[in-house]
Amino acid sequence: MRYAIPLIAILLIALLAPFIVSEAYLYVLGMSYLFIILVVSWDLMVGYTGYVNLGHTVFIGVGAYTAALLQSSRLFVILPPYISVIVAGAFSALIGFLIGIITLRLRGYYFALVTAILPLVFMQTVFIWRDLFGGEEGFSITGIQGTVERYYISLASMLICVLIILYIARSQIGLKFKSIREDEELAEAIGINTTKYKILAFVLSSFFAGIGGALIVNYRCTVSPDLYDIPLMLLIILSAVLGGLGTIYGSIIGGFLIYLAKNWWLKPIISQIPSMIPVSDDIILYTILIVIGILMPRGIYEELRKVASAIVKKT
Amino acid sequence: MIEEVIRVIAFSLVISGIWALVSSGFTLIFGVARILNFAHGSIFMISAYFAITLLKYNINPILSFAAGIIFSGIVGVLIYKVAMSPIKEHKIMVIIVSLAVALLIEQIVLNLFGEHGISFPSLIRGYQEVFGVKITNMRILAFVLAVLTIFLLEIFINRTRIGKMINAVAQDMEAAKLIGIDVERIYTITVFISSILAGLGGLLYSQIFAITPMASLKALIYAFAIVILGGLGSVKGSILASFIIGFIIVLTITFLGARWSEFIMLLTIIAILIIKPTGLFGVEE
Repeated sequence: MRYAIPLIAILLIALLAPFIVSEAYLYVLGMSYLFIILVVSWDLMVGYTGYVNLGHTVFIGVGAYTAALLQSSRLFVILPPYISVIVAGAFSALIGFLIGIITLRLRGYYFALVTAILPLVFMQTVFIWRDLFGGEEGFSITGIQGTVERYYISLASMLICVLIILYIARSQIGLKFKSIREDEELAEAIGINTTKYKILAFVLSSFFAGIGGALIVNYRCTVSPDLYDIPLMLLIILSAVLGGLGTIYGSIIGGFLIYLAKNWWLKPIISQIPSMIPVSDDIILYTILIVIGILMPRGIYEELRKVASAIVKKT
Repeated sequence: MIEEVIRVIAFSLVISGIWALVSSGFTLIFGVARILNFAHGSIFMISAYFAITLLKYNINPILSFAAGIIFSGIVGVLIYKVAMSPIKEHKIMVIIVSLAVALLIEQIVLNLFGEHGISFPSLIRGYQEVFGVKITNMRILAFVLAVLTIFLLEIFINRTRIGKMINAVAQDMEAAKLIGIDVERIYTITVFISSILAGLGGLLYSQIFAITPMASLKALIYAFAIVILGGLGSVKGSILASFIIGFIIVLTITFLGARWSEFIMLLTIIAILIIKPTGLFGVEE
Protein backbone atom coordinates (compact mmCIF):
# COMPACT_ATOMS: atom_id res chain seq x y z
CA MET A 1 0.00 0.00 0.00
CA ARG A 2 2.31 2.76 -1.17
CA TYR A 3 -0.71 5.06 -1.57
CA ALA A 4 -1.78 4.58 2.07
CA ILE A 5 -0.37 7.84 3.41
CA PRO A 6 -1.81 10.18 0.75
CA LEU A 7 -5.17 8.37 0.94
CA ILE A 8 -5.35 8.79 4.70
CA ALA A 9 -4.39 12.44 4.34
CA ILE A 10 -7.19 13.03 1.79
CA LEU A 11 -9.68 11.24 4.03
CA LEU A 12 -8.62 13.38 7.01
CA ILE A 13 -9.10 16.56 4.99
CA ALA A 14 -12.52 15.34 3.89
CA LEU A 15 -13.48 14.57 7.49
CA LEU A 16 -12.27 17.95 8.73
CA ALA A 17 -13.83 19.94 5.88
CA PRO A 18 -16.93 21.04 7.89
CA PHE A 19 -14.60 22.92 10.25
CA ILE A 20 -12.69 24.62 7.42
CA VAL A 21 -15.16 25.39 4.62
CA SER A 22 -18.18 27.69 4.86
CA GLU A 23 -21.63 26.12 4.82
CA ALA A 24 -22.47 27.06 1.23
CA TYR A 25 -19.32 25.44 -0.12
CA LEU A 26 -19.75 22.46 2.19
CA TYR A 27 -23.08 21.87 0.47
CA VAL A 28 -21.41 21.83 -2.96
CA LEU A 29 -18.62 19.60 -1.66
CA GLY A 30 -21.14 17.08 -0.29
CA MET A 31 -23.01 17.11 -3.62
CA SER A 32 -19.77 16.42 -5.46
CA TYR A 33 -19.38 13.16 -3.49
CA LEU A 34 -22.81 12.02 -4.64
CA PHE A 35 -21.93 13.03 -8.19
CA ILE A 36 -18.85 10.79 -7.93
CA ILE A 37 -21.17 7.81 -7.30
CA LEU A 38 -22.93 8.60 -10.59
CA VAL A 39 -19.67 8.82 -12.54
CA VAL A 40 -18.13 5.70 -11.05
CA SER A 41 -21.29 3.66 -11.67
CA TRP A 42 -21.31 4.83 -15.31
CA ASP A 43 -17.65 3.90 -15.67
CA LEU A 44 -18.35 0.38 -14.36
CA MET A 45 -20.56 -0.24 -17.42
CA VAL A 46 -18.98 1.88 -20.14
CA GLY A 47 -15.34 1.81 -19.15
CA TYR A 48 -15.29 -1.89 -18.38
CA THR A 49 -17.54 -3.51 -20.99
CA GLY A 50 -17.07 -0.89 -23.72
CA TYR A 51 -20.80 -0.50 -24.25
CA VAL A 52 -21.76 3.18 -24.36
CA ASN A 53 -24.71 3.83 -22.10
CA LEU A 54 -26.12 7.26 -22.93
CA GLY A 55 -29.17 6.76 -20.73
CA HIS A 56 -27.53 6.64 -17.32
CA THR A 57 -29.74 9.51 -16.18
CA VAL A 58 -32.73 7.20 -16.59
CA PHE A 59 -31.54 5.17 -13.64
CA ILE A 60 -30.57 8.23 -11.64
CA GLY A 61 -34.01 9.68 -12.26
CA VAL A 62 -35.85 6.45 -11.55
CA GLY A 63 -33.95 6.08 -8.28
CA ALA A 64 -34.58 9.70 -7.38
CA TYR A 65 -38.32 9.57 -8.07
CA THR A 66 -38.73 6.17 -6.41
CA ALA A 67 -37.08 7.38 -3.21
CA ALA A 68 -38.97 10.67 -3.26
CA LEU A 69 -42.32 8.96 -3.75
CA LEU A 70 -41.62 6.42 -1.03
CA GLN A 71 -40.71 9.17 1.43
CA SER A 72 -43.60 11.49 0.63
CA SER A 73 -47.29 11.00 1.20
CA ARG A 74 -47.89 10.59 -2.54
CA LEU A 75 -47.89 6.80 -2.30
CA PHE A 76 -49.55 4.66 0.35
CA VAL A 77 -46.37 4.08 2.35
CA ILE A 78 -43.86 6.41 3.98
CA LEU A 79 -40.47 4.79 4.40
CA PRO A 80 -37.43 6.08 6.30
CA PRO A 81 -34.65 7.39 4.00
CA TYR A 82 -32.16 4.54 4.45
CA ILE A 83 -34.74 1.94 3.36
CA SER A 84 -36.14 3.99 0.49
CA VAL A 85 -32.64 4.55 -0.91
CA ILE A 86 -32.02 0.80 -1.09
CA VAL A 87 -35.46 0.17 -2.60
CA ALA A 88 -34.77 2.92 -5.17
CA GLY A 89 -31.49 1.25 -6.14
CA ALA A 90 -33.20 -2.12 -6.48
CA PHE A 91 -35.96 -0.65 -8.63
CA SER A 92 -33.41 1.05 -10.91
CA ALA A 93 -31.58 -2.25 -11.19
CA LEU A 94 -34.82 -3.95 -12.21
CA ILE A 95 -35.42 -1.36 -14.95
CA GLY A 96 -31.80 -1.82 -16.03
CA PHE A 97 -32.30 -5.57 -16.18
CA LEU A 98 -35.42 -5.25 -18.37
CA ILE A 99 -33.73 -2.82 -20.76
CA GLY A 100 -30.58 -4.94 -20.72
CA ILE A 101 -32.20 -8.19 -21.76
CA ILE A 102 -33.77 -6.45 -24.76
CA THR A 103 -30.80 -4.41 -25.96
CA LEU A 104 -27.67 -6.23 -24.82
CA ARG A 105 -28.14 -9.26 -27.02
CA LEU A 106 -26.88 -6.95 -29.77
CA ARG A 107 -23.49 -5.38 -30.29
CA GLY A 108 -22.85 -1.86 -29.09
CA TYR A 109 -24.40 0.42 -31.71
CA TYR A 110 -28.02 -0.45 -31.02
CA PHE A 111 -27.37 -0.23 -27.30
CA ALA A 112 -26.02 3.33 -27.65
CA LEU A 113 -29.00 4.40 -29.75
CA VAL A 114 -31.67 2.85 -27.54
CA THR A 115 -30.15 4.19 -24.34
CA ALA A 116 -29.90 7.63 -25.94
CA ILE A 117 -33.66 7.68 -26.51
CA LEU A 118 -34.56 6.47 -23.02
CA PRO A 119 -34.05 9.68 -20.96
CA LEU A 120 -36.44 11.55 -23.23
CA VAL A 121 -39.09 8.90 -22.76
CA PHE A 122 -38.70 8.72 -19.00
CA MET A 123 -38.84 12.48 -18.82
CA GLN A 124 -42.18 12.36 -20.62
CA THR A 125 -43.60 10.15 -17.84
CA VAL A 126 -43.08 13.05 -15.44
CA PHE A 127 -45.30 15.26 -17.60
CA ILE A 128 -47.87 12.59 -18.48
CA TRP A 129 -48.55 11.63 -14.83
CA ARG A 130 -48.18 15.17 -13.57
CA ASP A 131 -50.22 14.61 -10.40
CA LEU A 132 -47.95 11.84 -9.22
CA PHE A 133 -44.55 13.16 -10.32
CA GLY A 134 -45.18 16.89 -10.04
CA GLY A 135 -44.43 17.92 -13.64
CA GLU A 136 -41.46 20.17 -14.45
CA GLU A 137 -41.45 21.68 -10.95
CA GLY A 138 -41.05 18.31 -9.24
CA PHE A 139 -41.86 18.24 -5.54
CA SER A 140 -40.03 18.50 -2.28
CA ILE A 141 -39.53 15.98 0.50
CA THR A 142 -38.17 16.21 4.01
CA GLY A 143 -34.88 14.48 3.22
CA ILE A 144 -31.92 14.73 5.58
CA GLN A 145 -31.69 17.85 7.72
CA GLY A 146 -28.55 19.79 8.66
CA THR A 147 -25.70 20.65 6.29
CA VAL A 148 -22.99 18.95 8.36
CA GLU A 149 -25.03 15.75 8.84
CA ARG A 150 -25.76 15.65 5.13
CA TYR A 151 -22.10 16.17 4.35
CA TYR A 152 -20.97 13.21 6.45
CA ILE A 153 -23.75 10.98 5.15
CA SER A 154 -22.82 11.74 1.56
CA LEU A 155 -19.13 11.18 2.28
CA ALA A 156 -19.87 7.84 3.90
CA SER A 157 -22.26 6.75 1.12
CA MET A 158 -19.71 7.66 -1.52
CA LEU A 159 -16.96 5.68 0.22
CA ILE A 160 -19.20 2.61 0.60
CA CYS A 161 -20.40 2.70 -3.03
CA VAL A 162 -16.94 3.32 -4.45
CA LEU A 163 -15.36 0.55 -2.36
CA ILE A 164 -17.99 -1.95 -3.48
CA ILE A 165 -17.59 -0.92 -7.13
CA LEU A 166 -13.79 -1.10 -6.82
CA TYR A 167 -14.10 -4.57 -5.31
CA ILE A 168 -16.32 -5.72 -8.20
CA ALA A 169 -14.06 -4.12 -10.80
CA ARG A 170 -10.97 -5.88 -9.43
CA SER A 171 -12.64 -9.26 -9.02
CA GLN A 172 -13.01 -12.05 -11.57
CA ILE A 173 -16.25 -10.40 -12.65
CA GLY A 174 -14.48 -7.14 -13.49
CA LEU A 175 -11.94 -9.11 -15.50
CA LYS A 176 -14.75 -10.69 -17.52
CA PHE A 177 -16.29 -7.26 -18.16
CA LYS A 178 -12.92 -6.13 -19.50
CA SER A 179 -12.61 -9.16 -21.74
CA ILE A 180 -15.88 -8.11 -23.41
CA ARG A 181 -14.43 -4.67 -24.04
CA GLU A 182 -11.18 -5.99 -25.47
CA ASP A 183 -12.62 -8.62 -27.80
CA GLU A 184 -16.14 -9.84 -27.41
CA GLU A 185 -15.85 -12.69 -29.88
CA LEU A 186 -12.70 -13.98 -28.24
CA ALA A 187 -14.34 -13.73 -24.81
CA GLU A 188 -17.23 -15.79 -26.13
CA ALA A 189 -14.83 -18.29 -27.64
CA ILE A 190 -13.13 -18.99 -24.31
CA GLY A 191 -16.50 -19.73 -22.76
CA ILE A 192 -17.60 -16.46 -21.17
CA ASN A 193 -21.34 -15.92 -21.45
CA THR A 194 -20.94 -12.37 -22.67
CA THR A 195 -24.63 -11.49 -22.71
CA LYS A 196 -24.94 -12.54 -19.07
CA TYR A 197 -21.98 -10.43 -18.01
CA LYS A 198 -23.05 -7.42 -20.05
CA ILE A 199 -26.45 -7.53 -18.36
CA LEU A 200 -24.79 -8.00 -14.97
CA ALA A 201 -22.59 -4.94 -15.54
CA PHE A 202 -25.61 -2.93 -16.64
CA VAL A 203 -27.71 -4.01 -13.65
CA LEU A 204 -24.91 -3.18 -11.18
CA SER A 205 -24.34 0.15 -12.88
CA SER A 206 -28.03 1.03 -12.75
CA PHE A 207 -28.27 -0.10 -9.12
CA PHE A 208 -25.62 2.38 -8.02
CA ALA A 209 -27.03 5.09 -10.28
CA GLY A 210 -30.40 4.58 -8.56
CA ILE A 211 -28.74 4.79 -5.14
CA GLY A 212 -26.96 7.97 -6.26
CA GLY A 213 -30.18 9.53 -7.50
CA ALA A 214 -32.01 8.64 -4.29
CA LEU A 215 -29.22 10.11 -2.18
CA ILE A 216 -29.21 13.33 -4.22
CA VAL A 217 -32.94 13.71 -3.62
CA ASN A 218 -32.43 13.24 0.10
CA TYR A 219 -29.54 15.67 0.03
CA ARG A 220 -31.20 18.56 -1.74
CA CYS A 221 -34.73 17.70 -0.56
CA THR A 222 -36.36 18.17 -3.96
CA VAL A 223 -36.87 15.95 -6.98
CA SER A 224 -37.29 17.35 -10.48
CA PRO A 225 -36.90 16.20 -14.12
CA ASP A 226 -33.39 17.73 -14.40
CA LEU A 227 -32.15 14.45 -12.91
CA TYR A 228 -33.26 12.75 -16.14
CA ASP A 229 -31.83 15.40 -18.41
CA ILE A 230 -29.04 15.30 -20.98
CA PRO A 231 -26.80 18.03 -19.47
CA LEU A 232 -26.34 15.81 -16.39
CA MET A 233 -25.49 12.90 -18.69
CA LEU A 234 -22.86 14.96 -20.48
CA LEU A 235 -21.38 16.11 -17.16
CA ILE A 236 -21.00 12.45 -16.12
CA ILE A 237 -19.44 11.52 -19.46
CA LEU A 238 -17.07 14.48 -19.30
CA SER A 239 -15.92 13.50 -15.81
CA ALA A 240 -15.33 9.87 -16.74
CA VAL A 241 -13.53 10.77 -19.97
CA LEU A 242 -11.37 13.32 -18.20
CA GLY A 243 -10.35 10.72 -15.65
CA GLY A 244 -9.98 7.95 -18.22
CA LEU A 245 -12.55 5.28 -18.99
CA GLY A 246 -12.33 2.00 -17.13
CA THR A 247 -10.11 3.19 -14.30
CA ILE A 248 -12.58 3.96 -11.43
CA TYR A 249 -9.88 6.10 -9.74
CA GLY A 250 -9.94 8.42 -12.74
CA SER A 251 -13.71 8.70 -12.48
CA ILE A 252 -13.46 9.68 -8.83
CA ILE A 253 -10.98 12.45 -9.55
CA GLY A 254 -12.77 13.53 -12.74
CA GLY A 255 -16.17 13.60 -11.05
CA PHE A 256 -14.84 15.63 -8.14
CA LEU A 257 -13.03 18.19 -10.30
CA ILE A 258 -15.78 18.61 -12.91
CA TYR A 259 -18.55 19.00 -10.36
CA LEU A 260 -16.66 21.62 -8.41
CA ALA A 261 -15.59 23.36 -11.62
CA LYS A 262 -19.17 23.60 -12.84
CA ASN A 263 -20.76 24.63 -9.54
CA TRP A 264 -18.00 26.57 -7.86
CA TRP A 265 -14.97 27.64 -9.91
CA LEU A 266 -16.42 28.42 -13.34
CA LYS A 267 -19.11 30.86 -12.21
CA PRO A 268 -16.78 33.72 -11.17
CA ILE A 269 -14.76 33.21 -14.37
CA ILE A 270 -17.87 33.39 -16.58
CA SER A 271 -19.06 36.57 -14.88
CA GLN A 272 -15.74 38.18 -15.86
CA ILE A 273 -16.33 37.55 -19.56
CA PRO A 274 -18.23 40.41 -21.24
CA SER A 275 -21.78 39.41 -22.14
CA MET A 276 -21.01 40.21 -25.80
CA ILE A 277 -19.34 36.83 -26.19
CA PRO A 278 -21.89 34.04 -26.03
CA VAL A 279 -20.15 31.83 -23.48
CA SER A 280 -21.78 29.80 -20.75
CA ASP A 281 -20.34 27.21 -18.39
CA ASP A 282 -21.89 24.49 -20.55
CA ILE A 283 -20.09 25.76 -23.65
CA ILE A 284 -16.75 25.70 -21.83
CA LEU A 285 -17.34 22.18 -20.48
CA TYR A 286 -18.46 20.79 -23.85
CA THR A 287 -15.43 22.35 -25.52
CA ILE A 288 -13.13 20.74 -22.95
CA LEU A 289 -14.79 17.39 -23.60
CA ILE A 290 -14.36 17.70 -27.37
CA VAL A 291 -10.72 18.77 -27.09
CA ILE A 292 -9.85 15.94 -24.69
CA GLY A 293 -11.73 13.47 -26.87
CA ILE A 294 -9.84 14.47 -30.00
CA LEU A 295 -6.37 14.88 -28.51
CA MET A 296 -6.49 12.01 -26.03
CA PRO A 297 -9.06 9.45 -27.16
CA ARG A 298 -7.71 6.99 -24.59
CA GLY A 299 -8.31 9.44 -21.74
CA ILE A 300 -5.96 11.66 -19.79
CA TYR A 301 -5.11 8.84 -17.37
CA GLU A 302 -3.65 6.62 -20.12
CA GLU A 303 -1.82 9.49 -21.79
CA LEU A 304 -0.27 10.61 -18.52
CA ARG A 305 0.80 7.05 -17.76
CA LYS A 306 2.42 6.84 -21.20
CA VAL A 307 4.25 10.11 -20.63
CA ALA A 308 5.26 9.05 -17.13
CA SER A 309 6.65 5.71 -18.28
CA ALA A 310 8.54 7.45 -21.09
CA ILE A 311 10.16 9.77 -18.55
CA VAL A 312 11.02 6.85 -16.29
CA LYS A 313 12.66 5.03 -19.20
CA LYS A 314 14.82 8.04 -20.09
CA THR A 315 16.16 8.61 -16.57
CA MET B 1 -64.56 10.60 -40.60
CA ILE B 2 -63.14 10.71 -44.13
CA GLU B 3 -61.76 14.18 -43.35
CA GLU B 4 -59.98 12.86 -40.26
CA VAL B 5 -58.44 10.00 -42.23
CA ILE B 6 -57.23 12.31 -44.97
CA ARG B 7 -55.85 14.77 -42.44
CA VAL B 8 -53.90 12.00 -40.68
CA ILE B 9 -52.58 10.56 -43.93
CA ALA B 10 -51.57 13.94 -45.38
CA PHE B 11 -49.87 15.04 -42.17
CA SER B 12 -48.02 11.78 -41.67
CA LEU B 13 -46.81 11.71 -45.27
CA VAL B 14 -45.23 15.17 -44.85
CA ILE B 15 -43.64 14.32 -41.49
CA SER B 16 -42.45 10.95 -42.74
CA GLY B 17 -40.89 12.54 -45.81
CA ILE B 18 -38.86 14.92 -43.66
CA TRP B 19 -37.78 12.23 -41.20
CA ALA B 20 -36.89 9.96 -44.12
CA LEU B 21 -34.41 12.61 -45.31
CA VAL B 22 -32.85 12.98 -41.88
CA SER B 23 -32.67 9.31 -41.01
CA SER B 24 -31.46 8.11 -44.41
CA GLY B 25 -28.53 10.52 -44.03
CA PHE B 26 -27.79 9.19 -40.56
CA THR B 27 -27.97 5.57 -41.62
CA LEU B 28 -25.95 6.20 -44.81
CA ILE B 29 -22.89 7.41 -42.93
CA PHE B 30 -23.18 4.49 -40.53
CA GLY B 31 -23.53 2.00 -43.36
CA VAL B 32 -20.45 3.34 -45.14
CA ALA B 33 -18.09 4.36 -42.34
CA ARG B 34 -19.59 2.58 -39.28
CA ILE B 35 -19.81 5.93 -37.53
CA LEU B 36 -22.73 6.94 -35.33
CA ASN B 37 -22.87 10.66 -36.01
CA PHE B 38 -24.62 12.22 -33.05
CA ALA B 39 -24.04 15.68 -34.54
CA HIS B 40 -26.47 14.81 -37.33
CA GLY B 41 -29.36 16.56 -35.57
CA SER B 42 -27.35 19.77 -35.29
CA ILE B 43 -26.90 19.84 -39.04
CA PHE B 44 -30.68 19.52 -39.35
CA MET B 45 -31.14 22.57 -37.13
CA ILE B 46 -28.25 24.72 -38.26
CA SER B 47 -29.22 24.79 -41.96
CA ALA B 48 -32.55 26.41 -41.10
CA TYR B 49 -30.92 28.98 -38.82
CA PHE B 50 -28.36 29.86 -41.48
CA ALA B 51 -31.01 30.30 -44.19
CA ILE B 52 -33.23 32.39 -41.92
CA THR B 53 -30.27 34.62 -41.07
CA LEU B 54 -29.55 35.13 -44.79
CA LEU B 55 -33.19 36.12 -45.31
CA LYS B 56 -32.79 38.83 -42.69
CA TYR B 57 -30.13 40.36 -44.93
CA ASN B 58 -32.69 40.49 -47.77
CA ILE B 59 -31.30 37.64 -49.77
CA ASN B 60 -33.67 35.92 -52.18
CA PRO B 61 -35.59 33.09 -50.40
CA ILE B 62 -34.69 30.39 -52.93
CA LEU B 63 -31.05 31.43 -52.82
CA SER B 64 -31.10 31.37 -49.00
CA PHE B 65 -32.74 27.97 -49.10
CA ALA B 66 -30.02 26.60 -51.39
CA ALA B 67 -27.28 28.28 -49.36
CA GLY B 68 -28.66 26.71 -46.19
CA ILE B 69 -28.40 23.25 -47.74
CA ILE B 70 -24.83 23.81 -48.96
CA PHE B 71 -23.91 25.28 -45.57
CA SER B 72 -25.15 22.16 -43.80
CA GLY B 73 -22.97 20.03 -46.07
CA ILE B 74 -19.90 22.13 -45.30
CA VAL B 75 -20.51 22.12 -41.54
CA GLY B 76 -21.05 18.36 -41.65
CA VAL B 77 -17.73 17.80 -43.40
CA LEU B 78 -15.97 20.21 -41.03
CA ILE B 79 -17.27 18.38 -37.96
CA TYR B 80 -16.25 15.08 -39.50
CA LYS B 81 -12.75 16.24 -40.41
CA VAL B 82 -12.02 17.96 -37.11
CA ALA B 83 -13.80 15.87 -34.52
CA MET B 84 -14.48 12.43 -35.92
CA SER B 85 -12.01 11.38 -38.58
CA PRO B 86 -8.91 11.58 -36.29
CA ILE B 87 -10.47 9.28 -33.69
CA LYS B 88 -12.38 6.91 -35.96
CA GLU B 89 -10.67 3.91 -34.38
CA HIS B 90 -12.06 4.71 -30.94
CA LYS B 91 -15.72 3.92 -31.37
CA ILE B 92 -16.73 5.02 -27.88
CA MET B 93 -14.99 8.37 -28.31
CA VAL B 94 -16.59 9.08 -31.68
CA ILE B 95 -20.01 8.75 -30.07
CA ILE B 96 -19.08 10.87 -27.06
CA VAL B 97 -17.31 13.61 -29.01
CA SER B 98 -20.03 13.92 -31.64
CA LEU B 99 -22.66 14.13 -28.90
CA ALA B 100 -20.62 16.88 -27.25
CA VAL B 101 -20.38 18.71 -30.58
CA ALA B 102 -24.17 18.46 -30.94
CA LEU B 103 -24.74 19.96 -27.50
CA LEU B 104 -22.10 22.62 -28.06
CA ILE B 105 -23.79 23.75 -31.29
CA GLU B 106 -27.15 23.72 -29.54
CA GLN B 107 -25.82 25.93 -26.74
CA ILE B 108 -24.18 28.37 -29.16
CA VAL B 109 -27.34 28.71 -31.26
CA LEU B 110 -29.34 29.07 -28.06
CA ASN B 111 -27.10 31.93 -26.94
CA LEU B 112 -27.19 33.64 -30.34
CA PHE B 113 -30.87 33.26 -31.28
CA GLY B 114 -32.71 32.47 -28.05
CA GLU B 115 -34.97 29.53 -27.36
CA HIS B 116 -38.03 30.76 -29.25
CA GLY B 117 -39.02 28.92 -32.38
CA ILE B 118 -38.43 30.66 -35.71
CA SER B 119 -39.67 29.71 -39.15
CA PHE B 120 -38.40 30.00 -42.68
CA PRO B 121 -41.25 31.67 -44.61
CA SER B 122 -42.97 29.23 -46.96
CA LEU B 123 -41.47 29.12 -50.44
CA ILE B 124 -44.94 28.89 -51.98
CA ARG B 125 -48.35 29.99 -50.77
CA GLY B 126 -51.91 28.77 -51.20
CA TYR B 127 -53.57 25.45 -50.50
CA GLN B 128 -55.39 22.58 -52.17
CA GLU B 129 -58.65 21.10 -51.04
CA VAL B 130 -58.93 17.31 -50.90
CA PHE B 131 -62.38 16.07 -49.80
CA GLY B 132 -62.88 19.27 -47.85
CA VAL B 133 -59.50 19.10 -46.10
CA LYS B 134 -57.22 22.05 -46.73
CA ILE B 135 -53.61 21.04 -47.37
CA THR B 136 -51.13 23.87 -47.84
CA ASN B 137 -49.08 23.82 -51.02
CA MET B 138 -45.95 24.05 -48.89
CA ARG B 139 -46.67 20.68 -47.31
CA ILE B 140 -47.24 19.13 -50.72
CA LEU B 141 -43.99 20.67 -51.97
CA ALA B 142 -42.14 19.40 -48.89
CA PHE B 143 -43.37 15.87 -49.51
CA VAL B 144 -42.55 16.01 -53.24
CA LEU B 145 -39.07 17.43 -52.56
CA ALA B 146 -38.37 14.76 -49.96
CA VAL B 147 -39.46 11.91 -52.21
CA LEU B 148 -37.59 13.37 -55.18
CA THR B 149 -34.38 13.73 -53.16
CA ILE B 150 -34.56 10.18 -51.86
CA PHE B 151 -35.19 8.97 -55.40
CA LEU B 152 -32.14 10.92 -56.63
CA LEU B 153 -30.08 9.45 -53.78
CA GLU B 154 -31.03 5.94 -54.88
CA ILE B 155 -30.01 6.70 -58.46
CA PHE B 156 -26.78 8.35 -57.31
CA ILE B 157 -25.74 5.40 -55.16
CA ASN B 158 -26.69 2.68 -57.63
CA ARG B 159 -25.87 4.25 -60.99
CA THR B 160 -22.98 6.70 -60.71
CA ARG B 161 -19.30 5.83 -60.37
CA ILE B 162 -18.91 7.58 -57.02
CA GLY B 163 -22.10 5.93 -55.80
CA LYS B 164 -20.72 2.55 -56.69
CA MET B 165 -17.49 3.38 -54.87
CA ILE B 166 -19.55 4.33 -51.80
CA ASN B 167 -21.30 1.00 -52.09
CA ALA B 168 -18.00 -0.82 -52.36
CA VAL B 169 -16.60 0.84 -49.24
CA ALA B 170 -19.81 0.07 -47.37
CA GLN B 171 -19.57 -3.60 -48.30
CA ASP B 172 -15.89 -4.13 -47.54
CA MET B 173 -13.65 -1.25 -46.60
CA GLU B 174 -10.38 -3.16 -46.87
CA ALA B 175 -11.19 -4.73 -50.20
CA ALA B 176 -12.18 -1.30 -51.49
CA LYS B 177 -8.82 0.02 -50.37
CA LEU B 178 -7.06 -2.84 -52.16
CA ILE B 179 -8.62 -1.99 -55.51
CA GLY B 180 -7.42 1.57 -55.12
CA ILE B 181 -10.40 3.47 -53.76
CA ASP B 182 -9.46 6.47 -51.62
CA VAL B 183 -11.58 5.45 -48.64
CA GLU B 184 -11.12 8.68 -46.70
CA ARG B 185 -12.34 10.68 -49.71
CA ILE B 186 -15.40 8.44 -50.01
CA TYR B 187 -16.13 8.98 -46.31
CA THR B 188 -15.95 12.73 -46.79
CA ILE B 189 -18.30 12.61 -49.78
CA THR B 190 -20.71 10.42 -47.84
CA VAL B 191 -20.67 12.81 -44.88
CA PHE B 192 -21.36 15.69 -47.27
CA ILE B 193 -24.35 13.90 -48.84
CA SER B 194 -25.65 12.79 -45.47
CA SER B 195 -25.40 16.34 -44.10
CA ILE B 196 -27.15 17.81 -47.13
CA LEU B 197 -30.03 15.40 -46.57
CA ALA B 198 -30.29 16.50 -42.94
CA GLY B 199 -30.03 20.16 -43.95
CA LEU B 200 -32.83 19.84 -46.49
CA GLY B 201 -34.92 18.04 -43.87
CA GLY B 202 -34.35 20.87 -41.41
CA LEU B 203 -35.22 23.56 -43.93
CA LEU B 204 -38.46 21.83 -44.88
CA TYR B 205 -39.26 21.27 -41.21
CA SER B 206 -38.72 24.94 -40.40
CA GLN B 207 -41.24 25.97 -43.07
CA ILE B 208 -43.99 23.75 -41.71
CA PHE B 209 -43.24 23.97 -38.00
CA ALA B 210 -41.02 26.37 -36.09
CA ILE B 211 -37.43 25.34 -35.43
CA THR B 212 -35.73 25.78 -32.06
CA PRO B 213 -32.18 24.96 -30.92
CA MET B 214 -33.67 22.02 -29.06
CA ALA B 215 -35.04 20.61 -32.34
CA SER B 216 -31.58 19.19 -33.03
CA LEU B 217 -31.88 16.63 -30.26
CA LYS B 218 -35.45 15.88 -31.22
CA ALA B 219 -34.41 15.21 -34.81
CA LEU B 220 -31.58 13.02 -33.58
CA ILE B 221 -33.86 10.98 -31.33
CA TYR B 222 -36.39 10.49 -34.13
CA ALA B 223 -33.61 9.47 -36.50
CA PHE B 224 -32.45 6.92 -33.91
CA ALA B 225 -35.91 5.46 -33.55
CA ILE B 226 -36.27 5.20 -37.31
CA VAL B 227 -32.91 3.56 -37.94
CA ILE B 228 -33.42 1.10 -35.09
CA LEU B 229 -36.70 0.11 -36.68
CA GLY B 230 -35.36 0.10 -40.23
CA GLY B 231 -32.05 -1.53 -39.37
CA LEU B 232 -28.78 0.36 -38.94
CA GLY B 233 -27.02 1.05 -42.22
CA SER B 234 -29.94 0.32 -44.52
CA VAL B 235 -31.21 3.35 -46.45
CA LYS B 236 -34.14 1.36 -47.78
CA GLY B 237 -35.05 0.25 -44.27
CA SER B 238 -34.89 3.75 -42.86
CA ILE B 239 -37.18 5.13 -45.58
CA LEU B 240 -39.77 2.44 -44.92
CA ALA B 241 -39.37 2.91 -41.17
CA SER B 242 -39.82 6.69 -41.50
CA PHE B 243 -43.27 6.17 -42.92
CA ILE B 244 -44.17 3.65 -40.21
CA ILE B 245 -42.88 5.88 -37.39
CA GLY B 246 -44.39 9.02 -38.97
CA PHE B 247 -47.77 7.35 -39.21
CA ILE B 248 -47.60 6.09 -35.62
CA ILE B 249 -46.58 9.52 -34.34
CA VAL B 250 -49.39 11.34 -36.14
CA LEU B 251 -51.93 8.78 -34.95
CA THR B 252 -50.67 9.18 -31.39
CA ILE B 253 -50.75 12.97 -31.57
CA THR B 254 -54.25 12.94 -33.06
CA PHE B 255 -55.84 10.51 -30.65
CA LEU B 256 -53.77 10.63 -27.43
CA GLY B 257 -51.97 13.99 -27.46
CA ALA B 258 -48.44 15.12 -28.33
CA ARG B 259 -46.89 14.22 -24.97
CA TRP B 260 -47.51 10.53 -25.63
CA SER B 261 -45.68 10.47 -28.97
CA GLU B 262 -42.18 9.60 -27.69
CA PHE B 263 -43.63 7.05 -25.33
CA ILE B 264 -45.52 5.16 -28.02
CA MET B 265 -42.53 5.45 -30.33
CA LEU B 266 -40.32 3.73 -27.76
CA LEU B 267 -42.84 0.98 -27.20
CA THR B 268 -42.84 0.35 -30.96
CA ILE B 269 -39.05 0.16 -31.01
CA ILE B 270 -38.95 -2.21 -28.06
CA ALA B 271 -41.50 -4.46 -29.71
CA ILE B 272 -39.41 -4.51 -32.90
CA LEU B 273 -36.19 -5.20 -31.00
CA ILE B 274 -37.79 -8.16 -29.23
CA ILE B 275 -39.14 -9.66 -32.44
CA LYS B 276 -36.29 -8.79 -34.80
CA PRO B 277 -33.18 -7.48 -33.02
CA THR B 278 -31.50 -6.00 -36.09
CA GLY B 279 -34.51 -4.08 -37.35
CA LEU B 280 -36.24 -4.60 -40.67
CA PHE B 281 -33.15 -4.49 -42.91
CA GLY B 282 -30.12 -4.30 -40.61
CA VAL B 283 -26.59 -4.68 -41.99
CA GLU B 284 -23.83 -6.80 -40.46
CA GLU B 285 -22.04 -4.95 -37.70
